[in-house]
Amino acid sequence: MTRGSPADPRGQRRGRTIRHAGLLVAGAVFVMWAVATLTFFAIRLIPGDPAQAILGGPGSQASQEALDQVRRDYGLDQPLIVQYLAMLGRLLTGDLGTSYALKVPVADLLGAQLGGTLLLALLSLVLAWILALGLSLWSTGRGRIATAVGEGIELTAAALPHFWLAAVLIAIFSSGLGWLPPVATGTAAGLVLPVVTLAVPLAGFLAQVMRESLLDAMQQPFVVSAQARGESTTGVRLRHTVRHAALPGISLSGWALGWLLSGAVVVETIFAMPGLGRTLLQAVTLRDIPVVTGVVLLISLVYVLMTVLTDVSSRIADPRLRQEANR
Amino acid sequence: MRAAPVTTRQNRRFGILAIGLVSMIALAGCQAAEPEASGDPVSGGTLTYASGDAEPTCLDPHVGGNYPQALIAGQFLESLVSRDASGEIIPWLADSWEVSSDGLVWDFTLRDDVTFTDGTPFDAEAVKVNVEHLQDPATQSSTGYLALGKVEQVEVVDDLEARFVLSTPDSALLESLSQPWTAIQSPAGIARGMEENCQAPVGTGPFIVDEWVKQDHISLVRNDDYSSPPADAEHDGPAYLEGIEWRFVPDSASRYAALQGGQVDVIDNPQPDTIAAAEQGDAFKWIDAPRPGASNRIELNSGQAPFDDERVREAFVRAVDVNDGIEALFFGTAERSYSALSSVEALAYSDESLFETDLDRANELLDEAGWTERDAEGYRVRDGARLTLRFPVSTNQSIPAEQSLFEQVQATAKDAGFEVVIELLDLSGWYGALFAHEYEIVSAPYTKVGPDVLRIVYHSDSITPAPSGYFANLSQLNDPAVDALLTEAAATSDPDARAELYEQAQQIILGGYYLLPLYDQQNSFLLSTKVQGARAISTVSTPSFYDAWLAG
Repeated sequence: MTRGSPADPRGQRRGRTIRHAGLLVAGAVFVMWAVATLTFFAIRLIPGDPAQAILGGPGSQASQEALDQVRRDYGLDQPLIVQYLAMLGRLLTGDLGTSYALKVPVADLLGAQLGGTLLLALLSLVLAWILALGLSLWSTGRGRIATAVGEGIELTAAALPHFWLAAVLIAIFSSGLGWLPPVATGTAAGLVLPVVTLAVPLAGFLAQVMRESLLDAMQQPFVVSAQARGESTTGVRLRHTVRHAALPGISLSGWALGWLLSGAVVVETIFAMPGLGRTLLQAVTLRDIPVVTGVVLLISLVYVLMTVLTDVSSRIADPRLRQEANR
Repeated sequence: MRAAPVTTRQNRRFGILAIGLVSMIALAGCQAAEPEASGDPVSGGTLTYASGDAEPTCLDPHVGGNYPQALIAGQFLESLVSRDASGEIIPWLADSWEVSSDGLVWDFTLRDDVTFTDGTPFDAEAVKVNVEHLQDPATQSSTGYLALGKVEQVEVVDDLEARFVLSTPDSALLESLSQPWTAIQSPAGIARGMEENCQAPVGTGPFIVDEWVKQDHISLVRNDDYSSPPADAEHDGPAYLEGIEWRFVPDSASRYAALQGGQVDVIDNPQPDTIAAAEQGDAFKWIDAPRPGASNRIELNSGQAPFDDERVREAFVRAVDVNDGIEALFFGTAERSYSALSSVEALAYSDESLFETDLDRANELLDEAGWTERDAEGYRVRDGARLTLRFPVSTNQSIPAEQSLFEQVQATAKDAGFEVVIELLDLSGWYGALFAHEYEIVSAPYTKVGPDVLRIVYHSDSITPAPSGYFANLSQLNDPAVDALLTEAAATSDPDARAELYEQAQQIILGGYYLLPLYDQQNSFLLSTKVQGARAISTVSTPSFYDAWLAG
């Protein structure tokens, strides 16, 4: 349609998209392999004998016969490299192994816990987004006081440690006012405090980056022209600048989800919720290698998927990225 | 071979029990709050229990055998015997027992008409199967396995008579059998295999495991056919509660908040400040049930320098001051101990004079032992080496108050020139440090019913590590006189002679400055006032909700 464009722009664009997707998949596989490898070797650096973990945990008074038996059964008497390759082989076939401590397949264990943690993380992400957008829209470009207040809130929120925030929220809303249960009850009310605990610090981070792009966007000529057309400030913000503010937020969301999943370790423990975070903590304490590997792989997979997803949604939100791919 | 006098003391005891103790609410040790029954018990309702202990990996306490397993197993499994508040062994699934004059044959007459909750009858064959299960290496039992180490086999004399044949006399047999780790399960349940039995063991208890949602809760439902309460229970027949929801709430602040908010009715492992706060009002009841066995103590590793020198051990004991710390950090909830044994053990021997703080004496002793110089930081030095004590601390076993107390030990020991290096470790790392003998001082709990725990913790046999590296004699006390006394005590059935032997052994152990006793192994429960009739069983101080009911 334009001069100088290739003969079949559509096909070429598709080719680029496929190449891009291929790179993403290769990257994802590489990341998963690296994570499995790192976890495998890292967990063997910390003290503790896996055979003992199998036989009732640290301090178990297992007999030599039992230890030998377990080492043979689990292949722990093999050289490390053989064990490593065996693990990779198992992982390739999708077999995550069996928990040393709980003696059930890791996949079943994680399957039962994944839902709760994902729900917690996604709800927190959504709430963080709402809080961050609200705060940055409210406080940007409304004078120095609003900016100072907004920045202050963001900085404080971003710096709040989960365990502290959880304790304060429990003290106020459970022990004090008695509005919300301090431990998860399987009801919506039980989810409120954990979600708020995870969302507030994240909202602080997100709002900081959103504010910058929002400020940037508001100085763009199209905002001035929109205002010249007589649009209200709120209208301009909602129709034109939010997209700009959202962009860095979107690309941060992949990172944010990983961050939320690690925050889940603390939050699930404090609020006594079942989930991946607690599973991970318990597995590390018990040196339950298959479970630790499984949880870490699963979280990495979620992380990788989110990165792909944010990459795609950034392209949707920002036409410039699509054009770049065309160039 | 076997003279068969039913121990008359036991018989009389049972008579008194049957008449007198039925109305008694037995709490282990010095109880802080006497639960008063207000009105008549009402049936119904589900009690919610929030546990701060680790979630068990297997609900069958034969497998492994730790305290979290004992806590919940006590709700659905029962033992052959129990122990009352005064420390006497009382009948439970066994009605009576008699021992041969050589102490090698014990005949247990079992309770009639008891059925496991899967319908299997409870009989001598079941007892035999359980002991074999505990002794089978494939079961991976550690606690129960050790407790029954002297049992060679169980013979089925008839349906209701089980004969334990021992390899050597064991005065601790009844105490061992009273523990939840040797509780009796349905043979049919065991036969299902470890994986299934771990999920829901089958017993004769007042409750039945209904469902276990990992990392969340275990649902227990009432056993409507229940018929085997221990001799010191308050009522007969099924429990009042319809069920128990057993939740896992690892964070202590959340646990207390949930109790305050009414989401849960009972919590365990409250922190000392929480107990103190709860005691101020009258919204909660506190059950203070110290665990049996050894007291919480700091063991001094006498197996290597510098504590292979008794003078240096005494200097450390004289230098550190823990009394103020215990008072301040535990808010009056823990009482200083001067014994190697828990105060719930009738045979515990205390000697306060051995542990009086005396800095001058400590300095004198260290000078005598050749630690005469001090370096720039004030620590003593001998031959260029600093007087350093490595102190691995398990963050799983030592509560924050105890960790703070250890910091005070560190500070007060410095005055005498000891450098205490505290290392906070998780359980695996902590055991790792012990296996490698990388410690001069260490604090390790040991729960066991009866004074025989002394043999496990201070007999030189326990210095030799098990194949897994585990060894219980952390002070590495190696004294043939102590070994002889403890071995003889374990084989002596005459109560007075046994008490005398244990006292002599404790005198040597305490007098050699191998340990610094701190307090009983703390074990507390906070209950909402609407929970009536709950108690801790005086074996390993686990809670019993058989007599419990919910008021209003």
